[in-house]
Parts: sequence; C-alpha cells; structure tokens
Amino acid sequence: MGLIKKVVTWARIKSPWILHFNTGACNACDIEIIAALTPRYDLERFGVQLKGTPRHADVLVCSGPVTRQIEDRLVRIYEQMPEPKFVVAVGTCSCTGGVFNGCYNVRGGISSVIPVSAFIPGCPASPKAIIDGVAKLLASLAEEPKKKG
Amino acid sequence: MLNSLFFILVFPGFLFVSFFGLVAEYVDRKIYARLQNRVGPPWFQTFADFIKLLGKEDIVPCEANARMFGLAPIFALSAVVTVFLYIPIWRYDAAFSFNGDIIMALYLLTIPTLAFFIGGWYSTSLFARLGSVRCVTQLFAYEVPLFMSILSAALLANSWSLRDIANFYSLRPAYCLFNLLGFAVSMVALLGKLEKAPFDIPEAETEIVAGAFTEYSGRLLALLRLAIDIEMVVGAALFVAVFFPFALALGAALGFIVFIIEVLAVVALLSLMRTVVARLRIDQMIDFCWKYLVPLALLQLLINLILKGVLV
Repeated sequence: MGLIKKVVTWARIKSPWILHFNTGACNACDIEIIAALTPRYDLERFGVQLKGTPRHADVLVCSGPVTRQIEDRLVRIYEQMPEPKFVVAVGTCSCTGGVFNGCYNVRGGISSVIPVSAFIPGCPASPKAIIDGVAKLLASLAEEPKKKG
Repeated sequence: MLNSLFFILVFPGFLFVSFFGLVAEYVDRKIYARLQNRVGPPWFQTFADFIKLLGKEDIVPCEANARMFGLAPIFALSAVVTVFLYIPIWRYDAAFSFNGDIIMALYLLTIPTLAFFIGGWYSTSLFARLGSVRCVTQLFAYEVPLFMSILSAALLANSWSLRDIANFYSLRPAYCLFNLLGFAVSMVALLGKLEKAPFDIPEAETEIVAGAFTEYSGRLLALLRLAIDIEMVVGAALFVAVFFPFALALGAALGFIVFIIEVLAVVALLSLMRTVVARLRIDQMIDFCWKYLVPLALLQLLINLILKGVLV
C-alpha cells in the first residue's frame, strides 16, 4: 500500500491540471495568470495544463474578491471538482478581500467561502510569483500526502 | 489458449499498446511544444497524468445514466486494442488474421467515436451533448474518404486481409508510391477521427469546455484518454501496415525497430499538421471533407483501378 500511495502522490505532484476562475477580479490578476501559461513561462514543463471543466481539474486558481453574485457559483464549481482538490488564491483581493473588503457587494477573500491551500499576494501577483506559489503547494503535498485542501 | 491470452493481454495486446500509446502521446505533445518554441513536458508526463487520474474520485452526475456513462470508455478502449491484434507488426503474420479483417479494423476504429457519443449523450450535460452531436456529425464527413483511400490500397493488393496487403506491398515497395495520394487523404481524415486541430471541433475547449468528456472525471477519464492515445497509435500502425509495410522484409529485431520508428514518424506528422492549422467550424469541416477529400480519394480509387488493369 505504501508504494502505491507514494506513486499516486508523485503523479499528483507531477500533473496538476488547473481551472482558472475569476470571482470578481479587476482582470489584472487574470492577465498575469494567462501570462504564466504562455510559451514564455511554459508551465507544461511541470505538467500544468489549463482545463475547461472542473471535472478534469485538480487545482482551482481563483482571482479577485468573492462578490455576492459569484458566491454560489464558486461553491458549485468547487463542489464539481473531484477529490483530492486544491484551491489557490491569486492576488491580494482573493487573499483578504483587499481594498474591496467591507464593500456592500463583497463577501471577502476566497477563504471566507471555500478552503484555500495557497495564498499568493500581489497586486497583481506576477507570473513568477504564481508559479512559485503553485510549486510550493505541490512540494507540500510530498510532505503530508494525507492533508487535503 | 495461453498463447492467445498472451497475445490479447500482454503483447501485442493491451499492455504493450497502452505503453506505446502513452509514449506516442508524449512524442506528440513534445513535438507540439517544440514547434511552439517551448520546452515541453518531461518524458514521464503522460504516465503521471494517467496514474493521477486513476487515483482521483469518480463522479457520476446524478442526472446521467450511470450504466451507459460507465460503459462507454470501456467499449472505446477494448475496440481500439482489438484492432492492434490484426495488424502485422514486423512478422509476415499478425497475431490474428482472416480474410476481410481490414473491414473489421476500420469498423472497430469507428466504435470509439460512437462510444464518445453515447458517453457524452448520457451524461446529459449541455456541453457534453453539443460535443457528442458534433462528434457524430464529423464522423459522416471524414469516414468516407478514410475508408475509400485505405480500401483502394487494398484493391491494388487484391486482398481484404491486412496480412496479405502488407505482404504484397513489402514484396513490391515501388507500388507504395502509387498510394501517396491516398496516404495524404487518410492522414487528414485521421486528424478528424482523433479530434485534433483543425478538426478538434467536438472538444473545442474555448467553446464547449471539453465536449463529450465534460462530465468525465477520475478513472473513466483516464480510460477515455488512453483510448484516444491507443486510437492514434493504432491508426498510425494501420497506415504503416497498408501504405509502408517495409519493416516486414527486415526480420524480427530490426523490423520491430523500423516499425516503431515508422509509427512514431506518422504520429510526428500528425502533430506537425495540428500545429500549423487552426480550428475550423463544423460546416467548414464538412464542406472541406466532401468537396476536396472525397474527390481526391475517388481519384486514388480510379488510379488504382487503372493500375490494376495495366499491371496485373
């Protein structure tokens, strides 16, 4: 059993498929996420692939504060993903709500709605910071294979 | 009995062809990446993807028909693995063979498309249904030129058995030159069968998320992806057996290496073709197939009929 678990953990680390979801960002973080996926940074080196559907994804990459409009949809997308799943919050707004915290239409950061595994601050977070954050999240999987997001 | 089981399960059956399929997917993705000026995935990438998907949660949507949803990937996988048993790889004899097996191979290669349709249709998601309808619409366009060009090569060889066709062309290598047009037509048609650009309309991720595969996750998705990889290898191996069966004359060890290189060369050609073109609309795709591919396949048929009258 130990060997199988190790192989599956290895595969999980080597093949994170991501789903990009804008929860109400100003689009700056989205541009940086897209930039991280371009040939210049070439995330396929690490096995990262951008998927269109939550059923295929392992990592949900969220940007922006959670607005009241998007809250239900965010929870629904999160629940559509198969276990084990991880959430990465990209940008200051998605970490804490940022400058929008306390607005009448904003719920707060991503972690106020769904559990988050990694926070990547920045306004906007640069592609290098995003890649570093995802790499650190994956490295943490090797240490604690049982812990889920 | 044991011999047949070994053929079916280990070599050249399930285990070998799965391994080969994953390697071919890696070659395809690496070439795709290099042509886009990227580094591309490491060599173990496709194996990591496969193992990861096996270790994930299986979700069957509550609206979906669980039985059809679960059976479709298994049907697709078993159909494509079966085809490989009938292809002469490097010996003059395939693992199994009978007169008419080329027809059976072509029809078994159609089953994955139908399985994708059934799986997509019974997952009852809007995107999956759109994708599966596009799958079948596309089937009617590329299937005719593919069948005509491969069967016209069989016509020249005067046999419906893959083994005899491969023997015929390996004894007369110059005859392969007559079939180049048919090879070109069937390469384009194979792009449609494998749902790669410019014919990736059924799983256009920028329009209909992942087409027929939208609701699949975990093990079933792993089987579907494996079925597509094996379909690519089997399609390429079928082309090698029909159009360029040069490996047969070289003996076991060298012949096997040449066969593998030939199949990977066809895969490389496929990834080159899918890199340089963009996605078509479904109506443009159907127009293209019926206006250009079918007449070219008919021309190939005519050439081979005339040759048969002159040469034989």
